[in-house]
Amino acid sequence: MQSSKSVQAVTPPRELSRLAALLRYEILDTPDESDFDDFTQLAAYICETPIALISLVDDHRQWFKSRLGLDVSETPRELSFCTHTIEGQGIFEVSDAQLDRRFNSNPLVTGDPHIRFYAGAPLTSPDGYNLGTLCVIDREPRQLSEAQRGALARLSRQIMRLFEERLQAHRFADQAAMQQALLNSAASAMLVTTADGRVTGVNPTAERLFGYPEKMLVGERLTDALFPQDALFRRASILSNELEEPIEPGFAVLTAPLLDGRREMREWRLLNRNGDAVPVLLNVSTIHDENEQLHGYIVSAYDLAHQEHLQLRLQQIAAQVPGMLFQFCWRPNGQSSFPYLSEGVEDIYGLSAAEMEPTIAPIYERIHSADRVQVLTSIRHAASTLTPWQLEHRIEHPRKGLIWVEARATPMRQSDGSVLWHGLVTDVTERKAEQFELDKQQEMNRRLLEALSEAVVACDAEGNLTLFNNAARSWHGLDAHQISPERWAEYYRLFQADGVTPMRMEEVPLMRALRGEHIRNLEMTIVMNGTPRYVLANADPMYASNGQQNGAVAILRDITERKQIEVLQRDFVSTVSHELRTPLTSITASLGLICGRVMGDVPVHLQELLDIAHENSKRLSTLIDDLLDIDKLYAGKMRFELQTQPLRPLLEQALRSNQGYAESYSVSIELDACPEVSINVDAMRLDQVMSNLLSNAAKYSPTGETIRVYAEKVGLQKVRVNVCDKGPGITEAFREGIFNKFAQADSSDTRKQGGTGLGLAISKELIEHMDGEIGFDSTPGAGACFWFELPCSARVETSS
Amino acid sequence: MRPLQRILHVEDVPSIQVVTRIALEKLGGFEVLTCASGQAALEQAPRFRPDMILLDVTLPHMGGIELLRQLAPLIDLQQTPVVLLTGQSHEPADHDELLRLGVRKQLQKPFDPLQLATKLNEIWNAEHE
Repeated sequence: MQSSKSVQAVTPPRELSRLAALLRYEILDTPDESDFDDFTQLAAYICETPIALISLVDDHRQWFKSRLGLDVSETPRELSFCTHTIEGQGIFEVSDAQLDRRFNSNPLVTGDPHIRFYAGAPLTSPDGYNLGTLCVIDREPRQLSEAQRGALARLSRQIMRLFEERLQAHRFADQAAMQQALLNSAASAMLVTTADGRVTGVNPTAERLFGYPEKMLVGERLTDALFPQDALFRRASILSNELEEPIEPGFAVLTAPLLDGRREMREWRLLNRNGDAVPVLLNVSTIHDENEQLHGYIVSAYDLAHQEHLQLRLQQIAAQVPGMLFQFCWRPNGQSSFPYLSEGVEDIYGLSAAEMEPTIAPIYERIHSADRVQVLTSIRHAASTLTPWQLEHRIEHPRKGLIWVEARATPMRQSDGSVLWHGLVTDVTERKAEQFELDKQQEMNRRLLEALSEAVVACDAEGNLTLFNNAARSWHGLDAHQISPERWAEYYRLFQADGVTPMRMEEVPLMRALRGEHIRNLEMTIVMNGTPRYVLANADPMYASNGQQNGAVAILRDITERKQIEVLQRDFVSTVSHELRTPLTSITASLGLICGRVMGDVPVHLQELLDIAHENSKRLSTLIDDLLDIDKLYAGKMRFELQTQPLRPLLEQALRSNQGYAESYSVSIELDACPEVSINVDAMRLDQVMSNLLSNAAKYSPTGETIRVYAEKVGLQKVRVNVCDKGPGITEAFREGIFNKFAQADSSDTRKQGGTGLGLAISKELIEHMDGEIGFDSTPGAGACFWFELPCSARVETSS
Repeated sequence: MRPLQRILHVEDVPSIQVVTRIALEKLGGFEVLTCASGQAALEQAPRFRPDMILLDVTLPHMGGIELLRQLAPLIDLQQTPVVLLTGQSHEPADHDELLRLGVRKQLQKPFDPLQLATKLNEIWNAEHE
């Protein structure tokens, strides 16, 4: 080697792997051991050197596991001779270091320990790494004999074997510790047996589960100690059949299936020290030694008591559930089973849970033949989409006959590709029957609704239209559409009674009913293609059985025909009245002139009859005027020429106009107090009202009495005009309808009192048209006081 | 003050014409010119020079108000008070226009023939106070 003065050895390419191999042995920096010292002694003896070392070379030093004749425990690697050994193969020998250029300047050569001779045999691991050396050193130059070299090589191999053994020992110790820890901490009871079934060890879980300390079980036959004999016999006979060879009712019961290549995992009820049953899931595995010789068995027993408890609880819960709870497994290969079925399987399918095979076949056979395809299809669909399955179908129940069931289940994909369902099947026969009955009822209701001449519309609590019957569809020309309530009026062409003003949302009867109102006989119109249909709407909120409002319904009655007749009648009355009026005016005026002696004296024998004719023609005129008035008022055609004017002159004028009439009843009229206010009225209409009130008062006043007229402020904005008489007053029975058309205290009054019966009705309309209010106060027997109130302003305004 | 004398009465219904004429002539002692139509009134009124006009608003062809409009250039309506006889269903005219056309009073039909002359005198007197 042409190494220069530099003593540094070249780093071998496999150096990192070598270092890793070295560390694996965990021998660096361990204490001295006589096992190794024996080798250095032997090497020194055989090679006749004063120094022998077991040297291990790591990244920066050589460390001596054993050293003879040397005090230092390690030296720097760059000075090391051994580095050269491990880089080569076989024995590396330097006969005189002072003559070797590689080492002649090495401090170990020039100084202590004054090395002259070195021979090292590599310590080569089984995987081929040179970890260190066994080397001998002398302070004199020399050479090893062939025999000495051979011995050195053999010794190095023995040292390496010792390393290997220690490594194995470490590994075994680790493994053993791990196994012990596993056994100790295992949740299952673990029992280790010999090949013939004698217990050699148990873990703490087993001690707890069976109540025996380990030492009581060790040496016992497992099957004698823990297994009930009758169960062993039963199992032995079953196995004998299956394996077609006699099986002893002992430990062979556990091991025979293993010999057949099967994994033996089975539920057993073992016995604890007190003789109580311990439900376990038993798993038996073989233990083989390195030569594949059967060494024994490990029997693990998983405590099922907890699971049994859970199962019991599930059973109790399932018993409370109407119907059948189940767990159903559908495997990718098409096989299926029921891992769990509650007792309800009898109720639903007439099958006994205990006798049930865990397959679908018996259940499938119970499904009504016409429903089978649908059941299968829907299950497949739910399984493929992993969506919940729900289906009503029929079951041929052996005890109950044909029943309806509802099945619901949720599928879950398992890691093995199978689909696991959890579900419930309930008997819904009764509900179905009710449903059929309800359907029938609903069908009947539907037919009724369709047959109705009234239009019926309904909506739910959210304002979604839910029902339009035949009439409603035809009147609106539309069906119930999802139109927001704001647009109902526009979409369904709803107008007010006049047929031209569009309804606002809050006026629509269905909307009002939805807000809790009860609508009665509201007139409105539906305008389709420009033709108004007049309808009378009734609407009510609808309530669910719990009292919660769940919608509203409106019923519309077509009154178009009635309206048309009404219009015709009114036109007729109006026309006839107009036509009657002119001739009647002439008759009345003529009679007036005759009776007023304008044309000279009237013959006495004609006087009475002419007076009667004159009087009645006047009444007829008044009646016709009133009829025309009321007609116009109700039709909204009466014109009002409102003017703000002082109240007092209006009252004075009214008194003057009616004085004559009152006198004819021998009654006087007096105007009392009157505040200086102005009112906004049509003077002629107000005069009409006053005339009605005054003429009534005159008619009902006793002879010689006075009618009192006075006005008073009511609050700041109103004035009340009172017309009080001392007549019989208004009887209780008559109070309510007094302002109705053709109302008079007594129908015979019409003739006796000479009124048309329209006066108060007209007065009420007139006053209300002028933003006023009309009423009366009366104590029967003590007169009546009719009044009207009108808005007023305080200042007197003179009107032209 | 000059008493009320000449009254132009415009009325299309003959029976009413007669009754009214009698009431006015016999009870009021007035001189009455009765016209059966607006057209007749337009032709005869300027020559007649009425003190007062008693006018039925609901005349056929030419209504009472229209008649007044056409009379306005022919007669000084401000000096000739007009009394309208209104029916139930007459269309109300513009109040200001009525004033401009000399309307002082509206009497609703049917009027009491015995009171008519008195009423007209009251209006006449009020006009000349």
